[in-house]
Amino acid sequence: MSAWRQAGLNYINYSNIAAKILRRSLKAEVRTEALRRDESHVRITPWANGKPAHLQAKAAK
Amino acid sequence: MLGRLAPGVCTQVTMVFNHQQSRNMATLKAISIRLKSVKNIQKITQSMKMVSAAKYTRAERDLKAARPYGEGAVQFYERAEVAAPEDEPKQLYIAMTSDRGLCGAVHTGVSKVIRARLAEPGAENIKVICVGDKSRAILQRLYSKHIISVCNEIGRLPPTFLDAARIANAIMTSGYDFGSGKIVYNKFKSVVSYSQSDLPLFSRAAVESSPKLAVYDSLDSDVLQSYMEFSLASMLFYALKEGACSEQSSRMTAMDNASKNAGEMIDKLTLTFNRTRQAVITRELIEIISGAAALE
Repeated sequence: MSAWRQAGLNYINYSNIAAKILRRSLKAEVRTEALRRDESHVRITPWANGKPAHLQAKAAK
Repeated sequence: MLGRLAPGVCTQVTMVFNHQQSRNMATLKAISIRLKSVKNIQKITQSMKMVSAAKYTRAERDLKAARPYGEGAVQFYERAEVAAPEDEPKQLYIAMTSDRGLCGAVHTGVSKVIRARLAEPGAENIKVICVGDKSRAILQRLYSKHIISVCNEIGRLPPTFLDAARIANAIMTSGYDFGSGKIVYNKFKSVVSYSQSDLPLFSRAAVESSPKLAVYDSLDSDVLQSYMEFSLASMLFYALKEGACSEQSSRMTAMDNASKNAGEMIDKLTLTFNRTRQAVITRELIEIISGAAALE
């Protein structure tokens, strides 16, 4: 078992961290272009029983 | 008696006359307001078309680069002849849409595929992840119990691999152990056409028990697990790119049609506007002439 998996990472986390480091260590002229790919705006909401989970937790209170 | 009646009749006549005139003036005004608003709408749809045309060229270029990610992952499943496990009925469907509307039937197409599947028997074992607000809005009313996760803020900017990775991460950490599944997305064919397509998803157990896995050399379960995780992210990435590209191309055609329709409406309204204006002028002339004739 690899060290990163033992630390609780999965391959996606592991490769993303590697990619982030690689992008940051690029030469300045290509770095800006590469850093643009380093963004994510997705918002993920877990749902349960037909409602967003955080709303349900509020209702339970 | 006539003297007493006359003022009343007179006011009545002027009232009718005023009323008629004001109504005609109002329609003229109303038509010009309407005309202006349709012209504004046309301007908006035209500029939206321009914007999506620019976004489309970028999306298509991005899609070309993203294609190997998806195709490679699908090839692996095909070559290894992975089949859905029969003892694990749980399935996961991922609806690939976006937050933005005004782009034809892109989102309804994907949602329809999922809705059709959920209407079939065995639907109680299916869970759905909605990527994009549009599929959530469509599926929420009837099938909200099936939704386990919703991802939004998609479609404003071109999707990145990090987006796909985060969605993949959310799927893996959701705690839902599915045997198989599908990513339903719009496959881009050309500027004017796209069709609903799907990518297969399998659990690790399904891949491990597939008959032809031996065609791949030096696979241990650790490598396989890493590959499965990566292939999930890359398939999601590919589906996001395909979806974004079809969405922009579809929006382009939708906005083109909208501008054309607005143009037709403008033509019709201008015609009615001119006609009404002519009618008003003619009536005024008749009034003046008949008034002059009455004085003679």
